[in-house]
Amino acid sequence: MIPFNYNLRNLTVRATTTASAAFGMALVVFVVAAVLMLNNGINKTLGRTSDPRGAVVIRKGSDNELQSTIDEPNVGLVMAAPGVAHTADGAPEGVGELLVVILLDKIGTDGFSNVQVRGVPDSVLKFRSQVQVTAGRAPQPGTDEVLVGRGIRGRFKGVELGQTFELKKNRPVNVVGVFEDGGSSSESEIWADLNTVRTAFGREGLVSSVRVHLESPTKFDGFKASIESNRQLGLEAQRESEYYEKQSQGLSIFITALGFGIAFFFFVGAVIGAAITMLASVANRQREIGTLRALGFSRRSIIVSFLLESVLLALAGGGFGALASLALGFVKFSMMNFQSWAEIVIAFEPNFQSIGVAIVVACAMGVIGGLWPAIRAARMSPVEAMRA
Amino acid sequence: MTVGGIGMRNIWRNKTRTTLTVIGGAVAVLFFIWLRTILWAWNVGVEYSAKDRLATRHKVSLIMPVPKRYVDNIRQLPGIKQTTWANWFGGKDPKRPDEFFATLAVDPESFFQVYPEMSVPAADLATWQADRRGVILGDVLARKLGLKVGDKYTLAGTIFAGDWEFNVDGIYIATQKSVDRSQLIFHWAYLNERLPERGKDLVGWVISRIDNPSRSAELTVAVDKLFDEKDVQTTTMSERSMNNSFMAAFSAILTALDFISIVILLIMMLILGNTIAMGVRERTREYGVLRALGFSPGHVATFVIGEALAIGMLAGGLGCALSYPIVQLGMGRYLEENLGSFFPYFRVSASTALVAALLSVLLGVVSAIIPARQASKLTIVDALRRVG
Amino acid sequence: METSTEKSEQSSAQNKGKAVDGPAMVELRGVTKVFYRGKEPLRVLDGINLDVPEGSFEALMGPSGSGKSTLLNLIAGLDRVSSGTARVAKRDLTSLSDSELAKFRAQTVGFIFQAYNLMPVLTARENVELPLLLTNLSSAERKKRALTALRVVGLEDRNDHYPRQLSGGQEQRVAIARAIVNDPAIIVADEPTGDLDRKSADDILLLLEKLNRDFKKTILMVTHDPVAAERATVLRKLDKGVLI
Repeated sequence: MIPFNYNLRNLTVRATTTASAAFGMALVVFVVAAVLMLNNGINKTLGRTSDPRGAVVIRKGSDNELQSTIDEPNVGLVMAAPGVAHTADGAPEGVGELLVVILLDKIGTDGFSNVQVRGVPDSVLKFRSQVQVTAGRAPQPGTDEVLVGRGIRGRFKGVELGQTFELKKNRPVNVVGVFEDGGSSSESEIWADLNTVRTAFGREGLVSSVRVHLESPTKFDGFKASIESNRQLGLEAQRESEYYEKQSQGLSIFITALGFGIAFFFFVGAVIGAAITMLASVANRQREIGTLRALGFSRRSIIVSFLLESVLLALAGGGFGALASLALGFVKFSMMNFQSWAEIVIAFEPNFQSIGVAIVVACAMGVIGGLWPAIRAARMSPVEAMRA
Repeated sequence: MTVGGIGMRNIWRNKTRTTLTVIGGAVAVLFFIWLRTILWAWNVGVEYSAKDRLATRHKVSLIMPVPKRYVDNIRQLPGIKQTTWANWFGGKDPKRPDEFFATLAVDPESFFQVYPEMSVPAADLATWQADRRGVILGDVLARKLGLKVGDKYTLAGTIFAGDWEFNVDGIYIATQKSVDRSQLIFHWAYLNERLPERGKDLVGWVISRIDNPSRSAELTVAVDKLFDEKDVQTTTMSERSMNNSFMAAFSAILTALDFISIVILLIMMLILGNTIAMGVRERTREYGVLRALGFSPGHVATFVIGEALAIGMLAGGLGCALSYPIVQLGMGRYLEENLGSFFPYFRVSASTALVAALLSVLLGVVSAIIPARQASKLTIVDALRRVG
Repeated sequence: METSTEKSEQSSAQNKGKAVDGPAMVELRGVTKVFYRGKEPLRVLDGINLDVPEGSFEALMGPSGSGKSTLLNLIAGLDRVSSGTARVAKRDLTSLSDSELAKFRAQTVGFIFQAYNLMPVLTARENVELPLLLTNLSSAERKKRALTALRVVGLEDRNDHYPRQLSGGQEQRVAIARAIVNDPAIIVADEPTGDLDRKSADDILLLLEKLNRDFKKTILMVTHDPVAAERATVLRKLDKGVLI
């Protein structure tokens, strides 16, 4: 086996060429890691680590809560269905919520954006137990006080602790608290009293969705069957995790397609850059190769040696790119989720998977880019090579 | 025979390297064209916005309808030539629940007059206007669903539950690039008659044609003023503003794409520059010879740049040539058919291709500047002394 | 330092009696060349005085490091003296700007290298045409002159061959054609036969003799080959930067 040091030193000899090829690969790894982290971020935001006991009920055929309406009496029916857990005092663990979208003035940029407002019952904080009010306090039930999610506070006019904004004309509400929900999409929402929202938007007696906690995840099938068999209800039930997955599907696919499309192009460019560098390297070292062969090193060891070198190059560049991508962890941006028509704030969430895949991609680039030059190196006869 | 011309011939000296560089450059050009086309296609809607159309909708939330009588109020405003309205139906093909296309309930008398760019044969239009259950489809949608005039079609409602049966009375084609050719248009009255009492006589939004485009700004204010004191206020925007604000929601992605397209150009310069630099290193002695023969440093620079220019032209030409089948025929068709509402018109515009080609030539030259300078600055004696 | 005439007398002992007397093509006075490698100054040439008469065929010999190539480079205008004066073909080289020096090289000097230095992407004829690109001649005129030059060196029938299709000796002949195509006043050759076998070397030397005798070209040749040196009419020796 040709010593490893040989490869290492050869990479440092032609510094600029090596650096530019490595840079190309760093870029590919950066983009791949970024796409994976973004996807992860979307899934976390929209999917979050949802409660395995959770189920969401919406009107049959609706894509999401926003399009769905459920009459008040049916809320009770859903909560009475088999499998629903009960609290210590016998009340069913469930909430009916009303979702609307309103237009608010953005701070900073010119323009408006859609924000989701969720009308929630008094028991909502007890039900959604992972939600924490981290600033201010919880609103008084039945009043014009609202909670705003951490993600949107301060980004729209009037949506900050202690401030007031209008739900619609002549219907002001006061922001008394800020909540956090583990980074999920609800942090881009405003939560107001259910009846306040109903009267403001003329939706008396209606909710958009019913959420329940089941006694255990295995009870879901029974629960679903009982809801859906009642055709008059016209409702459908989904596990909470499935529901959220569907919400992010469109966006996820879009980001993935775009991101990997971009990564693919960069990939081809980087592989070509690596191939050019390695070809030049081989050409410059013809005599050395001839000598190695004359000394008795096999063709295979030459191929392995050069492949190793290009993989090293790729890992160096890739490692740098992966490191740089971690810096994205600090970046947040907002965009419109075209499934819900509302703005969501997305972040890049690094995870081991994204870094891992990125490293694999780097190695692939190294192998693909270096394969042909390595074969060329090995094919030379020792005599030809030394004559060069 | 010129110095630049001889420089160009140097690309044949290392066919492998030249080929790889040209391919790398072509991929970069292709990538650039793809991204710019995405940006351009997304913007097509804004570009082709009608200058004489305004859209009026509920001020608070786009999911809330306005009273139908508002249509007459608006039409009577001086400066308004004609009005029409539409409701978002949100139906789905029961056999293809995952397909998304726009479904609108409109006023049959006025809709196609306000949107002349959606063109229906006169006889079919008349049939449809007389047929309350009639439906008109965009040509791309008709093709996708396999429908022709005379067929029957059933839509599954999501917001408005139930099955809705239609007769296909006509197919519209687009006389302008920005039209979504996958829309389904039917009678508002058909929708209205099946709604419960309190949901009746509401329209999603009102579209008006004005007689003088330069009065657009003042008219948008005038329309909203009509309803300022009423219970339901409106917000009116010119079509262009509306498309612009839609775009703004995606600004994060668009900026990212913009940024990436610049990065690509830099990468291309890197690949090209690397190859040129390698060539310069190899031909240093020849530069010495040229200088010895009496050529000036400027001539030597031209020599180097000639080579870079040749590669740039080849890369640009290949990239542009590939962009037509890949971006326009491949991706473009797919996007137009499946994401027609976002990308009604996905073509590589001549200006994009031209810019890409020019840029690749320019980049070729720019990437050669530093190597060319270095080459021309060597003293003759040093240059002659160099070996490869 | 000894005067140039004394030097000529010394080395004239080694000429063939065919020394030409005439106006000086090359006149060097007190020429010194210092190179800087790092911070150490290296005196490659030290106070050279030299006269080369027009129409002479001179050989310059010396051990490696003696400065003979450097001297040639100075005369050919490829490099500048550190001190002293150099007049070639009645031009004062020290007073010429870089671009004037380039013009001087193009019009007045024909250079022949040891390593031929032809452009691989050009045919023989195109290689010979190369110096003519610096003139105002039309393409047809350039072609004609190139072919003429190739005829002089006996390679007209291979004018469309690429260098890789020619033997070493043939390449050098093309290089010579290139050197004469502009009708230079002086031809300088740096080890013209260094890379060639005996037979090809002889052909080249015959050619040089022909150029000197029939075309009256002044030729200055650096060589370490005593057989080549024999062909010249005057032999000079250089050692450690000084003419001996």
